[in-house]
Amino acid sequence: MTAELALDIQNLSSGYQDQVVLEGVSWQVPRGTLAAVIGPNGGGKSTLLKTAVGLLQPFSYQALALFGQTPREGRRRVAYLPQREEVDWAFPISVLEVVLQGRLVRLGWRGRLRREDYAASREALRFFGLDNLEEVQIGSLSGGQRQRVFLARALVQEADLILLDEPAAGLDAKAQHELADLLVSLRDAGKTIIAATHDLDCLTECFDQVLALNRRVFAVGDPAQVLTEETMVKLFARHFPKVGSAGEVIVHES
Amino acid sequence: MSLNLLFEPFQYGFMVRAFVGVGLVAVVAAAIGTFVVLKGLAFMGDAIAHTAFTGIAIGLLLGVSIHLGALVFALLTALGVVFLTRVSNVRNDTALAILFTGVFALGIVLLASSPGFVGDLNSLLLGSVLAIQAEEIALIAVFALVLLGVLGVFFSHFVLISFDPVGAEAAGFPVAVFQSLLLALIAVAIVISIQAVGVVLVVALLITPAATAGLLTRRLKPQIFLSSLVGLASSLIGLYISYFFGAPPGATVVLVATMFFAVVLIVQKLRRAGGRAC
Repeated sequence: MTAELALDIQNLSSGYQDQVVLEGVSWQVPRGTLAAVIGPNGGGKSTLLKTAVGLLQPFSYQALALFGQTPREGRRRVAYLPQREEVDWAFPISVLEVVLQGRLVRLGWRGRLRREDYAASREALRFFGLDNLEEVQIGSLSGGQRQRVFLARALVQEADLILLDEPAAGLDAKAQHELADLLVSLRDAGKTIIAATHDLDCLTECFDQVLALNRRVFAVGDPAQVLTEETMVKLFARHFPKVGSAGEVIVHES
Repeated sequence: MSLNLLFEPFQYGFMVRAFVGVGLVAVVAAAIGTFVVLKGLAFMGDAIAHTAFTGIAIGLLLGVSIHLGALVFALLTALGVVFLTRVSNVRNDTALAILFTGVFALGIVLLASSPGFVGDLNSLLLGSVLAIQAEEIALIAVFALVLLGVLGVFFSHFVLISFDPVGAEAAGFPVAVFQSLLLALIAVAIVISIQAVGVVLVVALLITPAATAGLLTRRLKPQIFLSSLVGLASSLIGLYISYFFGAPPGATVVLVATMFFAVVLIVQKLRRAGGRAC
C-alpha cells in the first residue's frame, strides 16, 4: 500500500492555553519526504511542529502519530531545530560540544559520552565541512554554519525525522541554497525532513511536498500545485509586499 | 611584623572555622552559580533564599533542625517554580515575587514575635559565619561534596538542558527532571550559604563570581573553575577585611566579590577602548 508515514495528522486542533491557532488540520508525510510548511507569521507553523513532537498538547485530533507511534514514543526518532531566537548563541559551548549533545540525546539520560561518540561527532562535522571549527564557540559562527552544526547534531542523534523551524531566517541567498542542497542530500540518505518557513524563494522549490497553512490547511501537494499565484494570495492575504532575506522586495498581486 | 598580621586571625578557632566554612560555600555556590547566571535565574535564587529563611524560622520555633526547615522550603520553592512555569508556559516574575516576599514576611513575623528568637533574626539576615561550629562545617562539607558530585556526574546533561531545552525535549530527553535537579542543587547551595552571608546577600555568592568569570572566558568549564577561584578569593579577602575593620563578614565578602567584578569589567572596557584607538 502506501509507504510508512513519518507524520500522520488528522483533524488536529491545537494552540496555546485558550487560544486556538490550528483548526481541523490534516497532513500525511511519507517517510523519506522533504516537506515544507509555509504560511504567514502567526499562521501556526511552529504550533504544528511543536504539537507533532509533543511540546504542545493538542486540544483535539483524530490521529496524531510519528512513525505510527504516539508523539511521546516516536519523538526519540526526532531532531528538532529551534528557531534562531530560541537559542542562546552566547552560551559558552563549542561546536563539537553542541554536536555531542546529539549523542547524549541518542543515549538517553543514563548514557555517558564515550570515545566513539566523539568520533561520530567529528565525522559529522567533517561531513558538513566544519571540522576545522570544532573548538569555536557556537555564537561566533555565521548563520549558515550554525544551521549546519545543528544538522550535524541531528545526524549523530540518528534521527529519522528532522524538523526545522524557520531554517532560512537570517541566511543570505547563497546560504539558503546551500541549506536546501544539504536538506536534499539528507532526504536522499533516507531522512524525513519538515521545514517551517515563510521564505518562499529558493527553499520551497526543491521540496517534494508543501503544506500551505494559515490556521487551517489552504493547500497541500507538490510545489507546482501549491505555489500558485491564487493560493499564495489567499494564504498571505494582507502580508504583501514582502521583503526577502537578501533585501529584495517580492510583490504578489492578483 | 606584616607576616604576623597576616596570620593573626588564625590564632582564633572561630576565625579558622569561619575561613573554612565561608571558603567552602563560596566555592560551591560559585560553581553552581555559573548555571544560575547562564539561565538568568538570579531572581529565582533570591526567592529561594527568602523562603528558606522562613523554613529556618519554623525550624527554630518547632525546635527541629533549621537546616531541614531551610532545605524543605528551598526545595519546595525551586520545584514549585519548575511546576508553575511548565503549567503556565511563562516565567511569571510577579507571581514569584508576591509569593516569596509573602512567605518571607511570615518568617519575620514568626521570629520577631517569639521572645528568645529575636536575636536570631539579625544573624539570619546578615549571616553569622563567626559563630559557625565544627559540626556545621562538617554538614556543609557533606552537602558540598554531594552537590559537586551530582554536578560532575550529570554535567553534560545540565549543559544540554540549559543550552537547548526545546530541542532536547522534542527528542524525548527528560528535560523537566534535570531542570528540577539543577534547581534542587541551586537550592542546596543557597541553604548551606545562608549562615555565611545571610539571606539578603546569598544570591551574590551565586552570581557575582560566576558573572566575573563569564567576562574572562567563553568556555564553560574554565568559567566554572574561575568562578570558584573568584568566590574563594573573595571570601578569604572579605574575612580578613572583616577581621581588621570589624565589619560584618558576609557584607565584606560580597563587597570584595563585587570589587572583583567591577575591576574586571573596567579593565576590559579600557582594553577594548584602547584596542579601538589603535
